[in-house]
Amino acid sequence: MTAALETRALGKRFRRGWAVRDCTLSIPEQAIVGLAGPNGAGKSTLLALAVALLAPTEGEICVLGRDPWREPETLEDIGYVAQDAPLYRSFTVGETLDYARRMNARWDPEIAGRSVADVGPDRRVSALSAGERARLALAVALGKRPRLLLLDEPFARLDPRAGREFLQMLMDAVTEIGATVLVASHVVADIERIADHIVLLSEGRVRLEGDVERLLTSHRLLTGAGRPLGRIGGVDEIVRKRSSGRQMTLLARLSAPVVDPSWSVDEIGLEELLLAYMAPEQLPKRTTEKRRLRWHG
Amino acid sequence: MAWVTWRQNRIQLLAGGALLMVVVLLALGTGPGIRDAFEQQNLSSCLPPATRSGCDIIVRHFQSEHDTLALVGRYLVFLPALIAAFVGAPLLARELEHGTYRLAWTQGVTRRRWLLSQTLLLSAATVAGALALSAIVTWWRLPFDRLEGRMSPSRFEIEGVVVPAYAVFALALGVFSGALLKRIVPAMTAALAAFVAVRLAVANFLRPRYMAPEHDTATGLTPNTHAHDWVLSNSLVDAVGRQISAARENLAIEHAQNAGVDAQEYLLSLGWRRAVSFQPADRFWTFQAIEAAIFVGLAALIVIATLRLVQRTPA
Amino acid sequence: MIEFHLDARSGVATYLQIVQQVKEALRLGLLDVGDQLPTVREVVADLAINPNTVAKAYRDLEREGLVAPRPGRGTFVVGSLAAPSLQHHEALRRELEQWLAAAIRAGLDEESIRALISTTLREALVRRVA
Repeated sequence: MTAALETRALGKRFRRGWAVRDCTLSIPEQAIVGLAGPNGAGKSTLLALAVALLAPTEGEICVLGRDPWREPETLEDIGYVAQDAPLYRSFTVGETLDYARRMNARWDPEIAGRSVADVGPDRRVSALSAGERARLALAVALGKRPRLLLLDEPFARLDPRAGREFLQMLMDAVTEIGATVLVASHVVADIERIADHIVLLSEGRVRLEGDVERLLTSHRLLTGAGRPLGRIGGVDEIVRKRSSGRQMTLLARLSAPVVDPSWSVDEIGLEELLLAYMAPEQLPKRTTEKRRLRWHG
Repeated sequence: MAWVTWRQNRIQLLAGGALLMVVVLLALGTGPGIRDAFEQQNLSSCLPPATRSGCDIIVRHFQSEHDTLALVGRYLVFLPALIAAFVGAPLLARELEHGTYRLAWTQGVTRRRWLLSQTLLLSAATVAGALALSAIVTWWRLPFDRLEGRMSPSRFEIEGVVVPAYAVFALALGVFSGALLKRIVPAMTAALAAFVAVRLAVANFLRPRYMAPEHDTATGLTPNTHAHDWVLSNSLVDAVGRQISAARENLAIEHAQNAGVDAQEYLLSLGWRRAVSFQPADRFWTFQAIEAAIFVGLAALIVIATLRLVQRTPA
Repeated sequence: MIEFHLDARSGVATYLQIVQQVKEALRLGLLDVGDQLPTVREVVADLAINPNTVAKAYRDLEREGLVAPRPGRGTFVVGSLAAPSLQHHEALRRELEQWLAAAIRAGLDEESIRALISTTLREALVRRVA
């Protein structure tokens, strides 16, 4: 099975610095992937590289088996919604869909229309609410029945109800066409609902990647009395440790269940897990704060 | 892409069409009247080179009577500049400034095809409009052209094939400006300025040299009439053909006055004459072709440069 | 047809919640043998979740012999859960009443009782599955 998106040591540098660095990923087809990480982590850059809006500074990116720069026709199979859902403000809803139909060889008006079924076709884009605009941008991306769908922070301006409607439209359509989906969001709860695969970016680098369920079952929080840390049976790697007074809490990646009685074992939530992988211990407090995930709700 | 080009540029295209309509209506409204006056005042007998006495006054009267034309003609020269600023510059600049390029360039139509299609379609519309404009203006101006010729810049530039050539160059320049500056207002300003600069440079430095100018020395101090030609320079020369500076001329006149002699006769006696360098009227179409070729060639080069620029990262 | 709901903050995996809701419906008689479960797409469109999650829940239920897919037509209920007899229910109900009386005597108000029941139940369910 070909990977829907593959990168090898991908890097992108701007004047202000590296937005993405040494990024190696392989995303299987039909996966629903959450691209997590704080603002400025490089998520938008990665997506822009996938649709040839940016050119790599180093490394390679391969989308649906092709180089999007050398073969721009690949975009026919990729649905992309940039941050803030860019649309032509003077167009009506109907004209926007008309536009998308003419700009793509393959077009399914039914699947596009479903996302905006409740929005009058003569309404101008500038008069739409944030939720309606997001769904219209989604309709434009879905109408070409893409094999790969890339969404950059689609929930950013949506209230909970609009966000839910958006997700419903998205998941329904994706189930129908069997697309691979990559959703970038700094809000973990939104991703958690739909993603079976997660990629965590922080400071332009991949910190964590894998199947969500596997990640959650292979990580545990161990709590115990703080004392010299020896080898704990079953633990592959200690991702983070925190001690307060007599108590020590460890986030550990396991290769086998921990049976050591001196440690109490708890499951960990996805958000906690991502936070832990994002904050390398050695960093001074100042930069750690900048990197904190925004909490949802 | 035709629908897309229309939908995204319809305001400009409609405005251009309206402007053209205004000129057409003005022309059709005043044209016949001008022609009638021409006949009635028997101006055909005043056409150079055969002039009868009194023609001078009649011609000047005729010209001032119908000065709408002169007024409008002055402004027609600016139309191509408007194309650079209002049609060309926004094409890319607004996509880049508003961020909608992230929508337009991630569809099945490739970036290259998107830009090329729009540029070609808009060029076609521009050329068609400019040709129509040139045709109507030429028809309108016919009586005046018979009197004044059309080699001089203010007439040369609003008739013939140079008009569509300017227009298509303006469009290309505007689009390039948008690609380079990525913001609407700066792109419009730069396009306007650049267009004017190139136009003036060509008109003032290249056009006089498309072909070697001809020279004509009068037998006296008054130049022979070159009513239809484009006079490049008009100076006093001595018997050997050397140009005489204004200072020297003034000195001679002073000398004559001091001696109590008629200045004109004195200068004549020195063997001084009027010399004119000019581009003859029969070179009109040759010059039109050369100038049109220059602007169309520049336009093509600019379009290629724009395509290259746009292929690289826009941001 | 049964309608699912998802409690995103309960800490219980989504697919598990679906399994539990089907079982609960079976127990309460809301679902009978022969009834059709919502299609994967219907659940996805309703809850906005990953289709694999629904597929997984249905597979689990199939493994337990409670449902079976009919190709081209959907997933149907084929088994039933041993419905506790009415007597069994009665006994549990009386035990519950006694416990509640004890809790009230201990000074717990309605909120605290609900909270206690909630957390204890949740932990019990998690332990059963883990």
